[in-house]
Parts: sequence; C-alpha cells; structure tokens
Amino acid sequence: MAAKKAGSGNLKLSAVLDLNEASTLHGQLMAMRGSDIVLDASGVERVGVQCAQVLVAGARAWDEDKKSFQLAQTSDAFEKTMQLIGINPANLIAKEI
Amino acid sequence: MDMNEIKEIFFQECEEQLAELESGLLKLNDGDRDPETVNAVFRAVHSIKGGAGAFGLDDLVAFAHVFETTLDCVRSNKLEPGPEVLKVMLKSADVLADLVTASRDGGGVEESRTRTLVKELEALAHGEMPSASHDAPKPAAKPAPAAAPKAEAPKPTDDSGFQPIPFTFDDFGGDEETVIEGSTFEVTFKPRRDLYAKGNEAALLLRDLSRVGEMSINCDTSTLPALDKMDPEGSYFGWTASVKTTKSEEDVRAVFEFAEWDCDLEVKLQEATSSDEELPMIPVPFDLSALDDATDGNLTDEAKASEDDASAAVAAAETASSIARAAGAAARAERKDTAAAAAQNNAAASAAGAGQTIRVDLDRVDRLINLVGELVINQAMLSQSVIENDATGTSAVNMGLEELQQLTREIQDSVMAIRAQPVKPVFQRMSRIVREVADMVGKSIRLVTEGENTEVDKTVIDKLAEPLTHMIRNAVDHGIETPEKREAAGKDPEGTIKLTAKHRSGRILIELQDDGAGINRERVKQKAIDNDLITADANLSDEEIDNLIFAPGFSTADKISDISGRGVGMDVVKRSIQALGGRINISSRPGLGSTFTMSLPLTLAVLDGMVVTVAGQTLVVPLTAIVETLQPEASSIHSFGANQRLISIRNSFCPLVDVGRILNFRATQANPVEGVALLVESEGGGQRALMVDAIQGQRQVVIKSLEANYTHVPGIAAATILGDGRVALILDVDAVVAASRGQSLRAEMSLAATG
Repeated sequence: MAAKKAGSGNLKLSAVLDLNEASTLHGQLMAMRGSDIVLDASGVERVGVQCAQVLVAGARAWDEDKKSFQLAQTSDAFEKTMQLIGINPANLIAKEI
Repeated sequence: MDMNEIKEIFFQECEEQLAELESGLLKLNDGDRDPETVNAVFRAVHSIKGGAGAFGLDDLVAFAHVFETTLDCVRSNKLEPGPEVLKVMLKSADVLADLVTASRDGGGVEESRTRTLVKELEALAHGEMPSASHDAPKPAAKPAPAAAPKAEAPKPTDDSGFQPIPFTFDDFGGDEETVIEGSTFEVTFKPRRDLYAKGNEAALLLRDLSRVGEMSINCDTSTLPALDKMDPEGSYFGWTASVKTTKSEEDVRAVFEFAEWDCDLEVKLQEATSSDEELPMIPVPFDLSALDDATDGNLTDEAKASEDDASAAVAAAETASSIARAAGAAARAERKDTAAAAAQNNAAASAAGAGQTIRVDLDRVDRLINLVGELVINQAMLSQSVIENDATGTSAVNMGLEELQQLTREIQDSVMAIRAQPVKPVFQRMSRIVREVADMVGKSIRLVTEGENTEVDKTVIDKLAEPLTHMIRNAVDHGIETPEKREAAGKDPEGTIKLTAKHRSGRILIELQDDGAGINRERVKQKAIDNDLITADANLSDEEIDNLIFAPGFSTADKISDISGRGVGMDVVKRSIQALGGRINISSRPGLGSTFTMSLPLTLAVLDGMVVTVAGQTLVVPLTAIVETLQPEASSIHSFGANQRLISIRNSFCPLVDVGRILNFRATQANPVEGVALLVESEGGGQRALMVDAIQGQRQVVIKSLEANYTHVPGIAAATILGDGRVALILDVDAVVAASRGQSLRAEMSLAATG
C-alpha cells in the first residue's frame, strides 16, 4: 500500500457492485487515497446505487486532493445504470437537466 | 435473489433439459415416432433457448434457434427423422451441451464445429420444405420464435389467437387521450438506509419508473458526505424525476409499492403536456435497450403490464364509460393471452417432470445425514447403557428401545435415499463418449444401457463418471474391432457395448460388456514379463492374466494397446474404484469380448465393517476388503527372512501382516497362534493375512472423517463412534499392506524430510 501511494493506482471494479460490495469498494478507495487512480469498469455487470455513491464520493475526494480520478473502461451495464440514476458515467458527476 | 443464483438454477435446468433432449433423440434413433417424444425434444431445446435469451447468452440462443427450427420441421412432419438426420441432431445436442458448459464455465466452443452444424441443420430445415403451401396446423401454437423462418410468413393466420400485436399501447393511448393524456409527474424519491438494508435497489426502482413513461432524471448528490466520512451502506442520493406518461398517478406510485415505507416519496402532477384532443398521442418510446440488464423475469413484467393496463382501464371508466369498456375488453384480451401463455408453460412444465421435486442444497442433506448418524450412535449408546444397568432385560424401557432402534434404522435408510440418485445421467454421458470416440476411430458402435434407474449415493455417482469414461474409451478404442475385422470374424459390423447397473446384496453392480475380440492373453503376459511385473516362468491362470491389466506399470504399455486391447490407465481406474470402496474385475472370452464388473457401495456415509481388537485397541476393517477369516495354526506359520512371516493357506503362502506392529500399537511381534488372521485382498490383487487379536463382530458404522476433524493418520482411513461411545479407527487396508512391504507408514508423509 505504501508503494502505491507514490504512483498512480489501478482498480479493477468487480462484476457485481451491489450492497455487499459497497464497503469493500469504499475500503479499496480509502486505501488508494492520495495518488492518481484509474478505475476499470469494463467487467461490471451490475451496479447498485450504494456503490455509485461510493464512486461519486471518491471522485469528489480525489478532486479535492487535486489528483486524477479516471474511469478507463466502462461496460455497457455500468454506463446504462449510471445514466439511469442520473450520474454522468464519464466524470461521475450528477447530470444537469 | 442474486443474479448468479438464478443463473445457477438456469444451468441446472439446462442439464436436465439436455438429458431430456438426448434421451428423446436416442429414442427417436431407435425408431420411436411418438409425437410426444418429438415434442419433448423440441421443448428441451426451446426452454434452453428461452432461458439463455434471458441471460443474454447470444451464442447459445443463436445455435438453439437453428436447432429448434430444424426440430420444428420434424415436429410438423416436414422432415422425416431418419438415421442421417438424427446423426446431425445428436451432434447438435452435443454442441448445445458444450455451449451450455462454455457459457457457465467460460471458454468457448470451436466455431467451425458450430458453423458446420448450423449449416447442416439449416440444410435439413430447408431441404425438406420446398413450398410452405401446406403449413400444417401446429398444436397450440408455440411462441413465435419457435417457428421456422420460412414458416413465419403464414404464421399469423394460424396464430391469430396468439397475436398480442393488435392490442398495443398506441391504441390504448389513443382511446384514453380524452381523459388523461400525456401528463407529467414530478417524482421526488429519496430512499432511506432501510430500503437498501431490505435488499431493495434504488436503481431498479428507477428503472421501473423509467418504464412507466418518458423519464428525465436529476440526481441530488448534495447530501453525500466526503469519502472518508461516509457510510458505504448509507443512503445519500435522492432523485427528482419527471415522468411523462399516459398512466395515472397510481401507476407511478405503484412502482414504489414495496419500498414506500423506506423512502421519502412525492408524486405530483405537473401539467398536462398536450391539450389538443384531436392529435393522436404517440408515446415516445423510451430506449428500452438501456434496460437490457433487466433482472426481472419476463413474467413479472408481463404481469405488471397487464396490471397497469387494467388499472388504467379502471381510471378511464370513471370518466368515459364507453371507452373504458373497450379498454377493459382489450385489457381482458391481454390478460387472456398471458393466462394462456402461463397455462401453456404449466402444461409444459408438468409434462416435463412427472412427480414433484424440490431442489435442496447438498449441504443441507449432508448435515441431516450427519445428524442421523449421530442419532444412530446415540441410540446405540443408550441401549447399551440400559442393557448394562438392567439385567432382567424385560422392562418397558427395553421394548421402547427396540422400537427406537427400528425407527432410527428407518430414518437412516430414508435419509440415505435422499442422497441416492439414479445412475442415468452418468450413463447418458457415456453414450456421447461412445459416439465421439467411435466417430474418431471410424467404428460403428451401439451403446445399450440397462438399469439406468438404479439408485446410488450422489458422491458415488460423481466419482463414477471418470473411471467409467476411461473404460468406455478403452472399450471403444481397443475392445471393439474395426468393422472389417468384425465382418471377417463373422460378427455384426456394428459393435455393441452394454452398460448395466443393478443392485446386488446391498451394493451396486455395474457391468461394462463389449462384444469385441477379448483380451489377447499371450500379448498381455509377454508385456507383463517385459515390464518385470511377473517372472518369465510364472504360471498364471487366465483370470490372473486378465487382471494383469490393472497392474500399475502396465498402463504405460502403449504399444500393446493397439493389438491386445486393454491397458491404458486401467490401474488408475482400479484405484478410483477402490477409493470408492469398490472392486473391479474383468472376465474375457477370446473372440467374444470382455466384461468389466464393478461392485460399489451404495453410500459412502456408512460402512459395513468387522470390529476387531488389536493390542487393546478397537479397529474397524471394511468388510469389502475381507475375503475370509481364519485361525492360524502354529504349523502353518513360517518365518521368512529376518522378521517376515508367511502363513500357508491351502497350499499357498501368503504374507502375514501384523497390524499392531505396523500401527505401532506394540513393540514386539504378536504370536499369530493367539490371534486371528483376516485374509484381505489389496491393491494389485495380492492377498495378505492381517493379524489381529480378536474379532468382536460385524457392524454397520457411520463414517466420520478424520481429516475433517483432526488430521490424516497414516494407515487409518477414517473413524467411527461405537455403541459404547468410544471412537474406533477404520483401517486403511491398502496403506497397511503397503507398509508391510517394507515401506514405513510415514514414508509418504516425510519423504521430503528424509530424502
């Protein structure tokens, strides 16, 4: 973990981001705080709102830290659910309508 | 329910359908022309396709569709299921099974294989229907995709009763526009933590909401705290959505029906978007592709749709009764449709599986079996202590105990029966192997199975598949001769392999019989001599020679396998059969074929054992290993070498194995004359005499794993609890015998340490 602090981190999101996964995801993000991060959402099959919350909070935290928080690849399911709940999947910020 | 669980159930059902499919096709192959058989086959493919569609398994759907199309031609008598057709179909069934496996475990199926079969299937489907002029009336129309692509054009006339298209939301909207057309609802939705805790998912609710009408959504993230302060399972998001729909406020609220106590919900009518009554309302279709990840089954959707329609119709009735009547009628029509579909589904389901079954997690059954085992032990302990304390033996307690004993026995038997399953699935798999291997080696072979419904413990079934596969491969590859040779020998060019299962005295007997050339004993013996398995001047009976093929080390003889028949990995087969507590035997008649006979215990949870005493310890020796017991006489004991002894039995010598010495129960060798010798058959077919002090009796014991509760002990297979509450160890006969050959019991454990 210490080694990761310096450079940038990669995080592959698990396939099912449901309620049970939210805490894990939160922990993973907390551990990678302070460095640039690239999320890989290519394998995501299902996203729950709670994981979306964690991701949005993460994006904000990274923004505060002035570090980059990027989504490298996204699966269709990820995109669609994010759109459905009104979050822009590209930058994880609530969409304006 | 978790998506993965649902998927798992789907795959389990797939396996059942595949079995159904294969047995149906084989029946057709045997000349069965019962329309019900064809229907069963068709249904199986159709169900797999339907389920695969719901999970988005496109490869599977695509192939199943083509398969189904061809089957449909058979069903409507447009295609005669001759041997050539069935060959393609059987192959297709194999590919379908592979596709299912690939979808479950990942990996893929060779595309060329699929493509060739698709072509063949399509050729069959098209070749036999030059003109669709006589589109035979189909029984109780299947859902549209069931039809062949060519037959699709005339289909609507057949299936007018099954045509949901005439009734659509367009019509509905058009009728209703006078009442509440295109109102926009402002929905404010803020889930509470409880909503998630109860397993609801806001995203799904929003998805359902988006289906009500055209929705635009705004997510309120203002309450989301900083990452480090947030509760990952808390609820922070809220939504404001505006939904443009023709439905009523109730319909919008109905989306949140199951969640309304766990969220803050506000639904307000914003304004009517359109007041022009002349303009027909065309609902803007919501992009349904965004909902592809739907987790609900179609059924709920369908039910919901009809519910929505119905309540919409009720709303309409309040203002315009005449229109409402029409709408109501339409809604009824739709309902009837779904009801018909449901009825059909039910009919299909009941036809597929006679008798009701439930799916139970294997763990639960195992726990029950374990508990019943404890019960049996406890009951034995109880009766023993009662007998000890009550010398008269006539009291009511004793009577009650006897009844209890009978009951526990019965419970045990019934519980074991839960785990028991017919060997059918394994046998069915074998027919595929025969097909494939026979195809590969260019032979024509028929597999005849008998006693498929013989039941045996699931664990045994699972472990049986591998050795059986091996033996079947051998039989096809080496046992049966080529068609030319067979004809030259005056036999039917088509070989027959017969696989039989039956119950015999508390064990299951599985026989694999081929009508091939049998074992070439000369070659087998020669090979065994070359491999130093026997000495050149050994005088062996025919049976002993046949059994040589099970000897370890014989398996590497790849040259002989071409000529003589058997010999590839048969020692592995024997070992896996023995690991199941079974025995395997071969008998062979030159020119007429070979028969392998396997005798297996019905269950691995209980064991018939001989309870013996060794140096004050109680041990259980599996009864299956024991050939006979005898009381040695001083005259028949012969010393051999430094500390080896032999016992002469009927003019032959047999090594004497001192169990107490090998297990380190005592430091010195026991006097054989004071003990009893158990003649056991061990791995490799040799006989050994195990020396024990005394025999206490025979008993059925409940096996308790030592590995699970303690650790592996060399020479000991497992443990059990006796009636007096004491733990007795179950002897691992093979390990003890191996140890007597000079290898220490701990050899395999500490090989690395000692070098």
